[in-house]
Amino acid sequence: MAEPGLGTLGTIAFGIAIIAAAVGGAAVLTWFERRLLGIWQDRHGPNRLGPFGVLQVVADMLKLLTKHDWVPPFADRAVFVFAPTAIVVAMLLGFAVVPFGPDLYVLDLNIGLLFFLGMTSLAVYSVLLGGLASNNKYALLGGLRSAAQMVSYEVFMGLSLMGVVMLAGSFSLRDIVEAQRELWFCIPQFLGLLTFTVAGIAESHRLPFDLPEAEHELTAGFHTEYGGMKFAMFMLGEYLGLILISAMIVTLFFGGWLGPWLPPVVWFGLKVFALICFFILLRAAIPRPRYDQLMTLGWKVMLPLTLLNLMATGALALWWRA
Amino acid sequence: MNTALFYLACVIALSATGLALTRANAAHALIYLIVSLLAVAVLFFLMGAPFAAALEIVIYAGAIMVLFVFVIMMLNIGEEGVERERDWLRPRFWIVPGIMSTLLLVELLLALRDGAAFGAALTSGQAVAPKAVGLALFGPYVLAVEIASMLLLAGLVGAYHLGRRFLVRGGRH
Amino acid sequence: MLGAAQQREALTGTPALIADLGDAVLHHQRCADGVPTLWVERQRLPQVLRQLRDRFPMLLDLFGIDERLREHKPEAAADFTVVYHLLGLERCEECRIKVAVNPPDAVPSVRDIWPNADWYEREAWDMYGLEFSGHPNLRRILMPPTWEGHPLRKDHPARATEMEPFSLDEHKQAREQEALRFRPEEWGMQRATEDTEYMFLNLGPNHPSVHGVFRIALQLDGEVIVDAVPDIGYHHRGAEKMGERQSWHSFIPYTDRIDYLGGVMNNLPYVMAVETLAGIEVPARAQVIRIMLAELFRISSHLVFYGTFAQDVGQMSPVFYMFADRERLFGIVEAITGGRMHPAWFRIGGVAQDLPTGWERLVREFIDGMPARLDHYQKMAMNNGILKRRTVGIGAYSQQEAVDWGITGPALRATGVDFDLRRDRPYGGYDQFDFEVPLGHRGDCYDRAAVRVEEMRQSLRIIRQCLDNMPAGPYKSDHRLATPPPKERTLLDIETLIHHFLNVSWGPVIPAGEASFAVEATKGINNYHLVSDGGCNSYRTRIRTPSFPALQQIPLISRGLMIPDLIAIIASIDFVMADVDR
Repeated sequence: MAEPGLGTLGTIAFGIAIIAAAVGGAAVLTWFERRLLGIWQDRHGPNRLGPFGVLQVVADMLKLLTKHDWVPPFADRAVFVFAPTAIVVAMLLGFAVVPFGPDLYVLDLNIGLLFFLGMTSLAVYSVLLGGLASNNKYALLGGLRSAAQMVSYEVFMGLSLMGVVMLAGSFSLRDIVEAQRELWFCIPQFLGLLTFTVAGIAESHRLPFDLPEAEHELTAGFHTEYGGMKFAMFMLGEYLGLILISAMIVTLFFGGWLGPWLPPVVWFGLKVFALICFFILLRAAIPRPRYDQLMTLGWKVMLPLTLLNLMATGALALWWRA
Repeated sequence: MNTALFYLACVIALSATGLALTRANAAHALIYLIVSLLAVAVLFFLMGAPFAAALEIVIYAGAIMVLFVFVIMMLNIGEEGVERERDWLRPRFWIVPGIMSTLLLVELLLALRDGAAFGAALTSGQAVAPKAVGLALFGPYVLAVEIASMLLLAGLVGAYHLGRRFLVRGGRH
Repeated sequence: MLGAAQQREALTGTPALIADLGDAVLHHQRCADGVPTLWVERQRLPQVLRQLRDRFPMLLDLFGIDERLREHKPEAAADFTVVYHLLGLERCEECRIKVAVNPPDAVPSVRDIWPNADWYEREAWDMYGLEFSGHPNLRRILMPPTWEGHPLRKDHPARATEMEPFSLDEHKQAREQEALRFRPEEWGMQRATEDTEYMFLNLGPNHPSVHGVFRIALQLDGEVIVDAVPDIGYHHRGAEKMGERQSWHSFIPYTDRIDYLGGVMNNLPYVMAVETLAGIEVPARAQVIRIMLAELFRISSHLVFYGTFAQDVGQMSPVFYMFADRERLFGIVEAITGGRMHPAWFRIGGVAQDLPTGWERLVREFIDGMPARLDHYQKMAMNNGILKRRTVGIGAYSQQEAVDWGITGPALRATGVDFDLRRDRPYGGYDQFDFEVPLGHRGDCYDRAAVRVEEMRQSLRIIRQCLDNMPAGPYKSDHRLATPPPKERTLLDIETLIHHFLNVSWGPVIPAGEASFAVEATKGINNYHLVSDGGCNSYRTRIRTPSFPALQQIPLISRGLMIPDLIAIIASIDFVMADVDR
């Protein structure tokens, strides 16, 4: 484990700053996404409150905060209340290993990548337990879908990153960024990028892969019974997941903070922003596959592709070294 | 302090496991089991095996337990279970795992802050890096790895065989 | 219209038909629309219908009439009548079979001849209390299960003010609550088999994808649908009963709200049925205006379908583009009629007003811009791989099944049955227009959508022809029953003034008789069967809508599929709950 780039106090302060920035970013993202979708869909989106409607975020928060905090009488109360917090905590912990700049990070673990994977896999419990505790059939179906989807997609989510690990020779995210000084991994690891992006959207269950939620089929899926702040926690978790996945893709495939002229952290921010826009565009453009089609895609297309990528990368790495 | 953290994690792991065993409600039992696994992961970390800790979380807590929850959902425990549960819904029931997870979280944060120093203190003074794990697995222990992979393959084939029967029955007309 | 009536009779060859059926026919009733209407013996009904089925493969409609207060009763009538409206697709011919019945006598059920008779017979039971012997499931369909009485009977009150004030005591509330309880057995579903316990999912009446208030009880094995039982009636407003209270003229706005996406398309069959009864010829300009407006609304309705179809398979954006287009279209409708969704703009004998100055420019702008946008949507939605994978081969039915279940319109043409009333029995001036009838071949969700998309292009073609060849002349007939009558001459002589006064204050008196008129509406065949007893309101208004039989078919095409497939099926049917429940 490397020494922290900032002092102990600095790390704590930075950690708090990251939490605040991530939560604030997620909140602003709710507004930004609606405006961006509006532009693409020939309409305005929320544009009334404050400049460009950005105060809509505040209005929404006030509304959610003041809503009656209701737990359905038929729900498993304890689990029902606990479930939404899991996703937020797990996602925020995931941010700990992200290097925002050469010296801007909370943790530099030698298993940083695995830590991230662990945190995303823990975030699943939110959806699962939320669906289970609601004691509602739509929620249950959403939870079931989620469990199957997450387990299937985690398999190749981890594997798709092993090519990157091979090239960088380390699980540490800082080392991985440093290893991209010559060439961003999005070129040699194009297949890895593709599969990881697909798995990432599936993990953050956004539109093309939002089957656990699937408004048109399961009304709201796992969070059908949720309202007020508990619902807001799920939303927050989803947007945190979106930011985290974008940050990870940037770190692993697009050279993280690397870039000329501008300060590293600005480069990092810009890249993450561009990726977020890309994800929003995906949401606007693509229909939702059926549940079994999604599983087929995962097991029959994505997994073989990942394995192929892994084999090719391994062979090339050996050949290059020899 | 490291030792204190270690024993705290031990206590949590053991008591969570005990609670998991004694719960009548399957969902609650599973949550304790997950807490227990997380505690074990912290133990691994404290012992200087971060790689094993990560695998514990990714594989046991993150995947296998998800399947357990999946099964519980599939079984969809009936109304009498819900009725019985209604009596159990007291704060004392959820506050314990809550406190345990919080303590674990604090511990993890503390542990993470001080990083490598921990591992050195608790084990023979050597933290095991991921690379070392890999070298060990594909070096001296390659036979064990191969045997394990054969076993897994057999499991996979078995699962496929069982699943195929289901697919045929549930197929489209 | 007499010309058209004679044409319909000649096509069907009534004398030959009567000869075929032999002595089962009790009486041949002359109707204003010329459709052969034969009264047959109640006991021999199944035999007669089975005989007719080869020539008339589709049961277009089945409904009851309460004859007890009717003054101009047909010879063979008893207290109640059950009417079977049959349709032959090949030569586009119709036939009506009537059976007289005095409850508690029962009419033999014809479920085994036409599967779609199931719901129609339930409806007749619900509305009139008519028994159908051999029907296993004669339950309420439109009214709530706790309703007392049969609402379309003449002795049932038509409005709340004719009834006791409503009150809900504890006993009644308990009864209503009990009626809400879901018991799978009552819906013909099994709770479990040896190795599987089924899950029952209540989809609707409020659900994002059921397009209104529609409920389907699902029996699930995992996410696979074992059985699906639709439950309708949540949108029932008693439009047919209202038809018996409103004057002939003042019922027009109610028709707008039957298929609330179809606007004036709903007025068309109603006013044309009244015109058939009254023998009114509509001037050429009014005909072309009607066709233009009707086709505009066809586009509007299909745009809503197109957008929601894409949205229900999870594509978020198309619906916004299509609603924007619909908004442009409503701009034109508003400029012409003053209304938007429910203009109620057609009148008995013509339309409400002449076209406003400058209408050509508005219409031209729209039809010039639309094809390019449709191309764009084609790329965005219909050519999308995921959308195709979600809809191709899903929810398919054969031509035979479609005809058996009374499916009409684009949903019928998606199976490749080449049948369009506008071309095969041109009404209201459609014979003057060039257009093609788009066909599918698989009868699945994708083809149902593709047919509708192509229909929009054909409608644009028709509208362009209206635009280029709009005839001059009056926009309303000068027939004495055209409503409201022309005002100009009323100030000159007292006869016209009295006539105008009566027609406006009481409404026109339409001669006694029966007529039905079917049009190719946005969603299929919309047929109004009107019975006039020589008064200023209708004795019986029967509205046959295309959505009703389409929903009845859902169980057939969704068994063995998954919930997302069911959503795709629902999206592809293009129904409107107001059109189902009326």
